Amino acid sequence: MSGTLILARTELRRLFVQPLAWALLAAVLGVLAYFFLLSLQAFLALMPKLAGSASAPGVTDLVALPLLRAIASLLLLVVPLLGMRTLAGERQAGTLPLLLASGLGDARIVLGKYLGLLAFLFLLVALALAMPLSLDIGTALDLGRLCAAALGLLLFAAALAAIALCASSYAQQPAVAATVALALNLVLWILDAGARYEGVTSGFINYLALPTHLEPFLHGLVATVDIVYFMLIAAVALALATRRLGASRRRG
Amino acid sequence: MSASPLLQLHGVDRVLAGRAVVADLNLSLDRGSVLGLLGVNGAGKSTSLRMIAGVLAPSTGRVLVAGADLREHPETVRRQLGYLPEQVPLYAELRVMEYLDFCARLHGLRGAAVQHAVANVVERCDLGEVRRRLLGNLSKGFQQRVGIAQAIVHDPALIVLDEPASGLDPVQAANIRALVRELGREHAVILSTHLLPDVQACCDRVAILHQGRLRHDGPLHALTTADSLRVVTTATLDDTKWKTLSCVQSAESADAAWRIRLVPDATPAQLAQAIVANGWGLSELRAEDAGLEQIFLRIATAENAREAA
Repeated sequence: MSGTLILARTELRRLFVQPLAWALLAAVLGVLAYFFLLSLQAFLALMPKLAGSASAPGVTDLVALPLLRAIASLLLLVVPLLGMRTLAGERQAGTLPLLLASGLGDARIVLGKYLGLLAFLFLLVALALAMPLSLDIGTALDLGRLCAAALGLLLFAAALAAIALCASSYAQQPAVAATVALALNLVLWILDAGARYEGVTSGFINYLALPTHLEPFLHGLVATVDIVYFMLIAAVALALATRRLGASRRRG
Repeated sequence: MSASPLLQLHGVDRVLAGRAVVADLNLSLDRGSVLGLLGVNGAGKSTSLRMIAGVLAPSTGRVLVAGADLREHPETVRRQLGYLPEQVPLYAELRVMEYLDFCARLHGLRGAAVQHAVANVVERCDLGEVRRRLLGNLSKGFQQRVGIAQAIVHDPALIVLDEPASGLDPVQAANIRALVRELGREHAVILSTHLLPDVQACCDRVAILHQGRLRHDGPLHALTTADSLRVVTTATLDDTKWKTLSCVQSAESADAAWRIRLVPDATPAQLAQAIVANGWGLSELRAEDAGLEQIFLRIATAENAREAA
């Protein structure tokens, strides 16, 4: 196992032996479960009316889609909290020299931290997706569309995790890292809201916003441009974090 | 390459926030020796060690470990290094064994070698009784020992310890010193401290940093060998009486005792005989400890004299 994976494994282990990750996991799943039951009840009440119409929206549209959107919104808040400690926490606890003095390079330290955080987020998304998937027992779901949505959410989480890690690499305290990451997430989330209000839907500003690229996935559409967008955000954020770590060696 | 020293520093400077924290530092260290880096707080000890450990890059100058430049081959060089920073880098939420396992792997050990190295270091640092405990719940002494264990678990050629005995009680400090002395037999060890007893107990060489500059680098005995004697007598004396003795060069009163400097070639035995012969009631005679304070004063005075000249 390479040094990067060892760091990732320890990062994941440290998340699991502390209450923060468990508390966030419980809170997110609790909120989503409540939301899921509400939309399921609304769907059951609506079902008799829908049965008459030929092109009525199905359970995937009415129950799964709102839930997926809720997962995305919660990720905007939760990822900064989970990622805030990655580097700023090490800096605050004085443990960063251990990593800096090890044979691992800056890029591999960042990558190891990132993979550990990502593993936790994938678990969170998988558990959240288990809720709509459970409907498959009693009804026919559009599984292809759910797969596309899962991929979209994972890419979305990967981009947010990189932003959180980047903020953490610049901050001295975890709380500052969380605040900055949250602000960045929200800006990227509402960036094109004004443009859309004015009726602009295909401008450059739309391209920069997160929802522009997440929505197609939720509707079952997997496009290269959206995959590239999320990977680009992650790559830029990780490169900046690596640079910051290198600069801390030079600047002290 | 085997002929060149394990660690070499060539003209290392470090500027932080426009101030030269370390200036023109030249050092070399061989395997099998323990170098004590002495200095008051703010002298640049920690900064120097951080540069040797590769955590901080020098502004100018080169750090070579086994002939390889830290800047050009950072990753291979760092594997030969064990570093204990001033603040022990512990993850409070991990258990001792888990943490040491992680450190061993982080430094490149794999497979069965990890278990072997961890078991070895647990025994060496006497951590057996706390191996299952959480790091955050350990006492300061044990935390410090885990910190040292972390620095030596991968059996590095060069061990860099930043104040390894700080904040420990005398028994713990003595244990740490014994451990450092033992490490110094096979490895090259460089440690920083502001306590002279630390250096006297485990170092064979001492370097003194003052205001970021290296003021002294040499064997320990050259520094601490006393050049004056501390004498206490029951009779009340003044310095004219001391001058009557042929072996005394100078005498000055210090607290309740006298600080006596002998003429060259005279021995303390001659002084004792002379005091007894005069019936002054000799009650104490010992070599005066050259404390760190005095050494600094000596260095600073020598420097002022040089500047004046």
